[in-house]
Amino acid sequence: MLRAFSTAATGMTGQQTMVDVIANNLANVNTSGFKRSQLNFQDLLYVTLEEAGTEIASGINSPSGIEIGSGVRVASTVKVHSAGELQNTANPLDIAIAGEGFLQISLPNGDLRYTRDGSLQVNANRELVTATGYTLVPSITIPADSTVSIEKDGGVNITDATGNQSVVGTIQLARFANPSGLSSEGGNLLAETAASGTPTTGTAGDNGFGTIQSGFLEKSNVQMVTELVNLITAQRAYEINSKAITVGDEMLQTANSIVR
Amino acid sequence: MSELTTGASASIAALTREFETIAHNLANVSTVGYKRKSNAFSVSLDPQESYSPGTTDLDSLYDFSQGPMVETGRPLDFALYGKGFFSLETPEGPLYTRNGMFSRDQNGQIVDSVGRIVAGQSGPIAIPNNIADSQLYVSSDGTISAGNTVIGKFMLVDFADDESKLVPTGDSSYRMPDASIEPLEAERLVVKQKFQEASNVKIIEELVDMIFVTRLYQANMKSITAQQEATGSLMGVAMGL
Repeated sequence: MLRAFSTAATGMTGQQTMVDVIANNLANVNTSGFKRSQLNFQDLLYVTLEEAGTEIASGINSPSGIEIGSGVRVASTVKVHSAGELQNTANPLDIAIAGEGFLQISLPNGDLRYTRDGSLQVNANRELVTATGYTLVPSITIPADSTVSIEKDGGVNITDATGNQSVVGTIQLARFANPSGLSSEGGNLLAETAASGTPTTGTAGDNGFGTIQSGFLEKSNVQMVTELVNLITAQRAYEINSKAITVGDEMLQTANSIVR
Repeated sequence: MSELTTGASASIAALTREFETIAHNLANVSTVGYKRKSNAFSVSLDPQESYSPGTTDLDSLYDFSQGPMVETGRPLDFALYGKGFFSLETPEGPLYTRNGMFSRDQNGQIVDSVGRIVAGQSGPIAIPNNIADSQLYVSSDGTISAGNTVIGKFMLVDFADDESKLVPTGDSSYRMPDASIEPLEAERLVVKQKFQEASNVKIIEELVDMIFVTRLYQANMKSITAQQEATGSLMGVAMGL
């Protein structure tokens, strides 16, 4: 059978994955702190029918060989950690990280997770938690009847009912050698993997860490137009690969018509 | 079998391979740094030695023409403009690629998208942990720096006219063939950070080639059918039918 059938099929599968990735990016166009994924294709192994440099006559080497490729595969999806637009919300508990770094949070079982989604709230125990209710690490407790302000370096200041100011804690940031290697767990959470390396924690504004902007949320870094253009490209590429299968089928039909 | 039929079936085999190459190009229309392969048909014109009709010599050649530059904004995406390759270090020896979607591994070393180490002028390039991706600046000659500190320089090579002798190994990379060719220092090459070089497959061209190949294929099939009918009627006459 024609090798071209399976080759074109790999192309179709690849483009289908591309559409899946684009759909997820588009669905998260309004998710704070969301980072778009980028798909990476690689060509598949080649069948070498004749290697370049083979002696075809005495003293004459063929300048190039015959290699037939067998299609494409999805090599990886990479999270693009470029900054999203900062949106002013005027809520002092909304924080955006301008630059590198993730907020550290702890799951109920004590595992650490990382996020860029800084829409913080105060829970029933008066601790600072993310929108999904996970506490920050180290945890910060806000006393009752006080107003909160968050500094650029992550310092959490409160003003109590009598007008006294005090610092109740500092929001720590974590960063990774390879942030693209973090695994996405949904719910805006990222988890450490062997590929990401171990986290380095530190204070906002120090040593390569971004600063904390209170009153802002980092919007998704998905650009609608780019995604839509990619979607069209993927759809057309899918179509063209299916065309190759149709044409291959017609060729075999011609071959079959020899014997009547 | 007549000479005509032999010639036609040789052509059909070659056309089938050409078609497979087109399908491979089409499958890689979205592969970063992919270079399309073209099949060169050269009909043997050597009547003195032996008469060998049909397409006999079919070499796959690369079309190393520049692919379009696409901006991604990712600090570790690099596109090459001009002639040359990035070098990769693997246990099986060096590989060469134009797919510059790189990452940092857990040791801070620059690796390609399947985890192979990207070669620098002096071994692997390790980015210190306290430098964020967004602080990296890569100049057009491939020197990587952060602020005023130079971290390393990509090993960029060129094969000049020997380019077409490179053997593809899949995963966007090529190896040197067994016949010895020497990588030269790339001179006519520019590195562009935050860009990717898209595949240089042009859908229209591939489609036109595909139609061309199909029609040639059908024509060859037709000549076999015609030959068959002629033989058939000849036998009919001989046997007095």
